[in-house]
Amino acid sequence: MIYVQLVIDSLLLGGLYALMALGLALSFGVTNILNFAHGEAIMLGAYGAFFAFSLGGVDPLLALPVLMAVGFAAGYGLFRYFLKRVLSEPQVNQILLTFGIGMILNNTAAIAFSGDMRSANPSYASEAIRLGEAYLPTGRLIAFGVACLMAVTLLLWLHRTEYGRACRAVAQNQLASTLSGIDLKNVYAVAFGISIAIGVATGVVLSWVTPVTPFMGFHLLVKAFAIIVLGGIGSIGGAMLGAFLLGVLETSVAYFVPEGIGWAEGVAFAVLFLILIVRPRGIAGQVAE
Amino acid sequence: MANQNKQRKRTFLNSTVAGFTMGCLFAASSWLPAQAAEDTIQIGVPMELSGRFVTFGTSGKRGVEMAVDAFKGRVAGKKIEILLRDVQSDAQVTVQVLNDLITQKKVNLLVGPISSAMVSAAIPAWRQGKPIWIAHGSTTPRTEEEVGAEPRFFHTYPYSYHYQAAMSAGLKQAMGPGKTVAIIYADDAYGRAGLPAAKKYFSEAGFKLGVEELVRSGASDMNPILQKVRFAKPDVLISLVQTNDLATLAKQIRIAGLDTPYLTDGTDIFIEEWQKAVGDAQEGWIGVAGYFPGMARPASKDRPDLFPSLTDWEAKYRQRYNVAPAYLDVGAYSATIMLLMAVDKAGSDDPDKVAAELKKLDVQTLIGRGRFVPTPSGTLNQAFQDLMVAQRQGGKNVVFYPNELATGKVIPRTGK
Repeated sequence: MIYVQLVIDSLLLGGLYALMALGLALSFGVTNILNFAHGEAIMLGAYGAFFAFSLGGVDPLLALPVLMAVGFAAGYGLFRYFLKRVLSEPQVNQILLTFGIGMILNNTAAIAFSGDMRSANPSYASEAIRLGEAYLPTGRLIAFGVACLMAVTLLLWLHRTEYGRACRAVAQNQLASTLSGIDLKNVYAVAFGISIAIGVATGVVLSWVTPVTPFMGFHLLVKAFAIIVLGGIGSIGGAMLGAFLLGVLETSVAYFVPEGIGWAEGVAFAVLFLILIVRPRGIAGQVAE
Repeated sequence: MANQNKQRKRTFLNSTVAGFTMGCLFAASSWLPAQAAEDTIQIGVPMELSGRFVTFGTSGKRGVEMAVDAFKGRVAGKKIEILLRDVQSDAQVTVQVLNDLITQKKVNLLVGPISSAMVSAAIPAWRQGKPIWIAHGSTTPRTEEEVGAEPRFFHTYPYSYHYQAAMSAGLKQAMGPGKTVAIIYADDAYGRAGLPAAKKYFSEAGFKLGVEELVRSGASDMNPILQKVRFAKPDVLISLVQTNDLATLAKQIRIAGLDTPYLTDGTDIFIEEWQKAVGDAQEGWIGVAGYFPGMARPASKDRPDLFPSLTDWEAKYRQRYNVAPAYLDVGAYSATIMLLMAVDKAGSDDPDKVAAELKKLDVQTLIGRGRFVPTPSGTLNQAFQDLMVAQRQGGKNVVFYPNELATGKVIPRTGK
């Protein structure tokens, strides 16, 4: 039974991690900007879902498309009016800018929403599907479903649509893309908008899984960075692979090592360290030019 | 030559005037705050207003604000000036803030921070000036070890061993001896420092110690440890984790259908925001506290202006903050009021005089009798250590220990 539960827990945790890392991988892959405010997009998505549920009685899943649309618009605007200005600046300036935006957002949230802990409690958040002795938490299963849906949609968009192909082209070679008539800045803004929308979706899902607080984002951001580094920076597939690998590793350590849940993160990061020594570009990363 | 001399003279004159002006400005700038400081009583309030302990700091801040309002902003004939600082739930920032308050601002009175880790970080910095310190928080007994017999340190919150002493006594009375306990503790100061006390008091009360599992603070998946607890089949699960982690734990215990009959915590389960966050998963949890929202306590006979009935105070609090107060809020209010009463009696913020007045206080506060007594481990000033044990039943708190305050009986959970 324990192995069945181990597989379930690993997959569900991996799904959650994949959702956290997906948006970040997209924005970095296309725009080459490390978005340190991504955690705050997650936090604001979680607050959006919480308030929609507690004030308007709207199920977080129903609020998801609307919140994602708002997230896209905000991300697009953020890029158009702020990040565009630092595109040609050294990367440390870009990091400082996004870090500053993140700090403004989480402190504004602390003032506006107070530091009180919140959580959406739709009925499925506390239900589980029994599989003999093992069980499948419904809320996390939905989160897993959302992660898969986001990943598939994103991959389809990247491979089957004109804009998606433009994004990939820009990620591969910016100069050639510009020469072939692609509006670079608009592609950047769209990719950034989508990455924020995915961040918001992550927050919506987390609103019923973990407590929502103004400062929840940074811890998630660190984990997401670790995942995209593990998978290979800029690779969507790599991010998914890294997320599930981390999920399996953490859960296995938690199950089989005494007091393992305390060690899980340390062991997972040790593996990340080892993988980076053996393969510095990550599991699915491309060789840097 | 004459022109050169003229120019030199002008330069000299200009420099003298500029230097004199600068000097005047500097003198005025150093004189003005000194004058202002003479007309005010400054209280340093370093709190966790951001970061992972923001819930604690918010409560502490609110309690202090309410207390200053109760004194109408003046004490000992002077205006109260609150120097509120955000320690960002970060040990390094806490040290910087304490250094600034003690060595630069030279405050004689301190309230906060709250969390065990931040109080622990603050102790060395506090020793530089040793102002009166109302430490309303820090449940770890390590604080006692680090502070020792300092006469200006006033701890106004129970230590974790007070929790475990009350909880083990309450459960022993309800369940009888020979039952097994499992412990889940966080990898932070609260969890690690609470573990020895939990083991000591529960084994002394006749419980058998079973599995003992570490949980990473901030973990989003606690299911692996729940599986280990499920296999161990304990009668009681003691959780030594902080509010946010407890919310995750409680939800996942419900989802997992864990059938441990008694789930225990410290004071977090009585916080309204925790209850809202976990919804139905709060049912059956047992906690300890000196106060629950909605409990009745009459106004103090001596100072009803400062310690009104709990119902009246809660109404005022809700009106101001639009949320129910937690034990930390009411406690921070009561502790700050005691500090201000002592300052009032001392007639100034002279630390020795205020410490002497605090020691003399014996008042009925919102959370019970307020008076400072020594602790067995050697600290000199401890208040508010008497606790009730209660269970969440149907969305209400049912007190089952001590008997004189009992409002019902504890009911074992089924996990369904």
